[in-house]
Amino acid sequence: MSLKLKLPTIIAGAAIVTSMLAMSVGLIGAASAAPFKLGMAIGGEPSQDWQKAQGEVAAALAKQRGWEYVELSNNADPAVTTKNADIFIQDKVNAVIEFNGSPAVNPVIAAKFAAAKIPEVTYDIAQKGFYFVGIDNQAAGLAGGEALGNIAKTKWNCDVDLVISSEGQGAGIVNTWRTGGMRDGIKKVCPDIPADKWVSMEGGGQVAVALPAGRDLLAAHPDAKKILVVGINDSSVLGVLQAAEQLGRADNIIGWGQDGSFITGPNVDPHLAGSVFYFLEGYAVYALRDVIDPIAAGNAPPVKDDPGNPASKVQPCPVSAAAAAKIPDMAGRVTALLAAPKGTTEYDLFCPKA
Amino acid sequence: MSDAATTRPMPVGRKVLLTANLPAGWGTASLVAGAWLLLVLASAVHRADFLSYQTLLAVAFTMAIVGVLAVAQALVGMSGAILDLSQPTALTLAGAVVCQLLGMGWPIPIVLVAGILVGAAWGLFNATIIVVGKLNPIIVTLATNFIGTAVMFLIFQHIQAPIASPVVAWGQGNFLGLPNIWWPMVALVLIVGFLLPRTAYGRHAIAVGGSRFAAQARGISLKKTRFAIFISSGAIVGLASIMFAASNGPFAPSAGTTFQLPVIAGVILAGVSLAGGRGSIWLILLSVGFLSTVPTSLVFFGLSSNWQAVFQGFILIVAVSIDGWRARRLQR
Amino acid sequence: MSIDTADNRAGSGGLDRHRLRDLATGSVSSIAVTLVVVIGVGLSWIGPDFLSQSNLNIIGSFVAVPMLVAAFSSFALLAGVVDLSIGSMVGVSSCLTATLMTTAGWPLAAAVPVTLLTCLALGAINATAVVIFGADTIAATLGMLVALRGVCYLLAQPMGSITAFDTDFYTFTNLSAGPLPLLFVISIAIIAIAAAIVSRSRLGRHVQAVGGDDRAASRAGISVARVRFAALLLSSLGAGIAGILYVGQLGSATNLTGTGLEFQVYAAMMIGGYSILRGGVGNPLGAALGLLVVAGTANILDVQAVSPFYTNIIVGLLLLAAVLLDRLRGGDSYE
Repeated sequence: MSLKLKLPTIIAGAAIVTSMLAMSVGLIGAASAAPFKLGMAIGGEPSQDWQKAQGEVAAALAKQRGWEYVELSNNADPAVTTKNADIFIQDKVNAVIEFNGSPAVNPVIAAKFAAAKIPEVTYDIAQKGFYFVGIDNQAAGLAGGEALGNIAKTKWNCDVDLVISSEGQGAGIVNTWRTGGMRDGIKKVCPDIPADKWVSMEGGGQVAVALPAGRDLLAAHPDAKKILVVGINDSSVLGVLQAAEQLGRADNIIGWGQDGSFITGPNVDPHLAGSVFYFLEGYAVYALRDVIDPIAAGNAPPVKDDPGNPASKVQPCPVSAAAAAKIPDMAGRVTALLAAPKGTTEYDLFCPKA
Repeated sequence: MSDAATTRPMPVGRKVLLTANLPAGWGTASLVAGAWLLLVLASAVHRADFLSYQTLLAVAFTMAIVGVLAVAQALVGMSGAILDLSQPTALTLAGAVVCQLLGMGWPIPIVLVAGILVGAAWGLFNATIIVVGKLNPIIVTLATNFIGTAVMFLIFQHIQAPIASPVVAWGQGNFLGLPNIWWPMVALVLIVGFLLPRTAYGRHAIAVGGSRFAAQARGISLKKTRFAIFISSGAIVGLASIMFAASNGPFAPSAGTTFQLPVIAGVILAGVSLAGGRGSIWLILLSVGFLSTVPTSLVFFGLSSNWQAVFQGFILIVAVSIDGWRARRLQR
Repeated sequence: MSIDTADNRAGSGGLDRHRLRDLATGSVSSIAVTLVVVIGVGLSWIGPDFLSQSNLNIIGSFVAVPMLVAAFSSFALLAGVVDLSIGSMVGVSSCLTATLMTTAGWPLAAAVPVTLLTCLALGAINATAVVIFGADTIAATLGMLVALRGVCYLLAQPMGSITAFDTDFYTFTNLSAGPLPLLFVISIAIIAIAAAIVSRSRLGRHVQAVGGDDRAASRAGISVARVRFAALLLSSLGAGIAGILYVGQLGSATNLTGTGLEFQVYAAMMIGGYSILRGGVGNPLGAALGLLVVAGTANILDVQAVSPFYTNIIVGLLLLAAVLLDRLRGGDSYE
């Protein structure tokens, strides 16, 4: 008898329980909708440690947002870069950030990602169809060149015996813009340096290559005394400065670098007068703020792939060696960046306001 | 190729080549010296200011580290272990230890000993795998190089000796007009070249390289010889790493690879046979000197540095072709 | 009949042939086991997706060109003359093709034969030095490696890379043959043909004989010089074809194209049972399996996004383990 009375109760109870179950399944279903998946391909050139740091920062920022993060290394190899594109597509990432040191292979990668409808952010090296996040390399070059030119003007009244460009051919157009930009910057301040005083050598972007090449170049110009050195990055300039020290020619040599790798810390070469920071390791802040966050929110911004009109512009920060003494090294910068409020860039945190 | 020599009777010509003072050595020496002279003359004719103190300094700096590494590589080659492909890793590993200890303020003599010991320890590591596993040194050192550099990258990206250190001042400076780092190289070449045929250890190494069966028959312990060669070769690389850390600014774990091919070329051009048992240490001065002058000459000729590799590569091909031709004629 | 007698007389016929075949198949079977282990690890760690069509495509297209190079270079290894210049030659082939297509504006059909002939000429230099002059093969081909890398840099000046994106060629190199990439299937076919030549034909036995004991082979009437010369030419032909295919696959050529390829190929071949110092051992199937083991391992680490430095460590350990295993099975023992 009690059972018969309880039947409607049982049915009602069952209905309530079932609907609660149904609602919670629905909620769980909604909550377990796949989180945003960000893929990042770091450059993989062993001698440039900011490439590894770029990945670390991106990983930390993605984690803050509760995203999934997949990181691969391009290994500075075009075949691996292409393979990585395939892996990202297979992994069904929602967006990709890439530093591709082998830009010649970009058309192939662009075709793959376009077919898979995956948006891509490219750091510093433009490709049609990719969001450009990065520095205007020509402006960075100009800023550094002008700073160096001003020193030459003050010290020597622009009476320079030799201007050495330590190139990094492998970087392609970035080298042309940056190193060429530095030359243009010097010419702006000191327009009368004769053409035969401008010489170039392959510095390979690292001291190990720039040092012996610098020795040979300096030996081939034995009479040059007042020397300026520019290059694609701090390392290639440093190699030439050390070559001058070894050959006993360092009394009147002044270099200005790019990327700020070796202008901080206790071991700065006394002849490196300054560098231009881009705070490369912190690029992810720009990329996420201006491109990836909107995409994750369903609001993809229009594709801006031209460095002159970029999706997110990184400002160069020319810094003299003296001013750089107050800037922490890369590890310190990364720690401070990750502790800072969302959207703060390293430029905000560290560039000395003139 | 080479290992066939160990399974059949030695041809008469080979036996002659087992001694360190070989007629072939003089032939190689005069060829290399002649080529070097020709290069210097041609460069001087093109630009008279080639013959300057600056050029001498530039070449001497380039020679210094390559020369020391070449001595280490020559020991390995002459003992029949063909090539040590893990030199780049040993160089940066020991160099990193030197930089780290200098940065921590350790006394310099202890740091120098530490550098040499790290190099020797790496040699011991290689030798253990080779002897215990009975594996070919070229494969073992190929693998350990790969692994070692990767492990280093997990620990550091670049490292530098403190520029205020007296070691760095020494590394950048001169003595009697030539680089400080050049003199230990010359001393090493002269001493090792002198001691090798005059010590039991050296003679055993060359004997093992010539024919390990004949050496075993004479009672020479193959295992002991292998260990001795790799440990001493590693210690020499440790010496090179001190010179490297003193003169090469900030470097990455992979920085040693720029030396690998010039060292092997220098060793081969010095008449060291990769088959073992043959070669002269003293000739390294000539061969490394010649190969180190090529890049500087090219700059004076106005050729881009990309031509360096082309010239150095073809010099090597021509040199070993001549070498092979002479070895064949000796066998007949 | 006289041919059979000659083979038997040489000793490289009867007894040695079986021993060589056993050695080759022995190492092939152990590397096959290793591959099965790798697949097992992949399946258990990644899941069934490891063998998905998309993932197999990734592995296949990455391994296709190196496998082709391995097939063509395997004869030189077998004959006892290792060609270390293959990586740089691939680079020169790529850069030359790309330059002809862009700067000179030639169509692909014109660039291909010129590039292949150039590579054959370079291979002839190798062969002349090693076979006619008797130069040490490691030293001579090392010299060619250095020289050709310089040539790559010169060709790729001033930008360091040449973009040569030919839509038709790119499409072709990315075609699929069923579930696998077409290039991969073609490379497997070439490996199969090479394996058949090595283990079943008289030419293959001659090459093995030359590599195993050149004096005995010479006494048996085999022209050692001709076999080695041809093997080195074949090696450079393979590098030439590979370089051209890279231009299709990657739409470009750089001054670094092919760098390290010789390590990738020869390490895989050593894992697969070849010896770079002693000829006469090895089977192209072993080379293919070795490449797949390394590529499969690298893929597992890639898909799990493990740091690439760990990949290098693991490949290095794999190489050591493989040669140790080979030695324990009675292979090359170094004292």
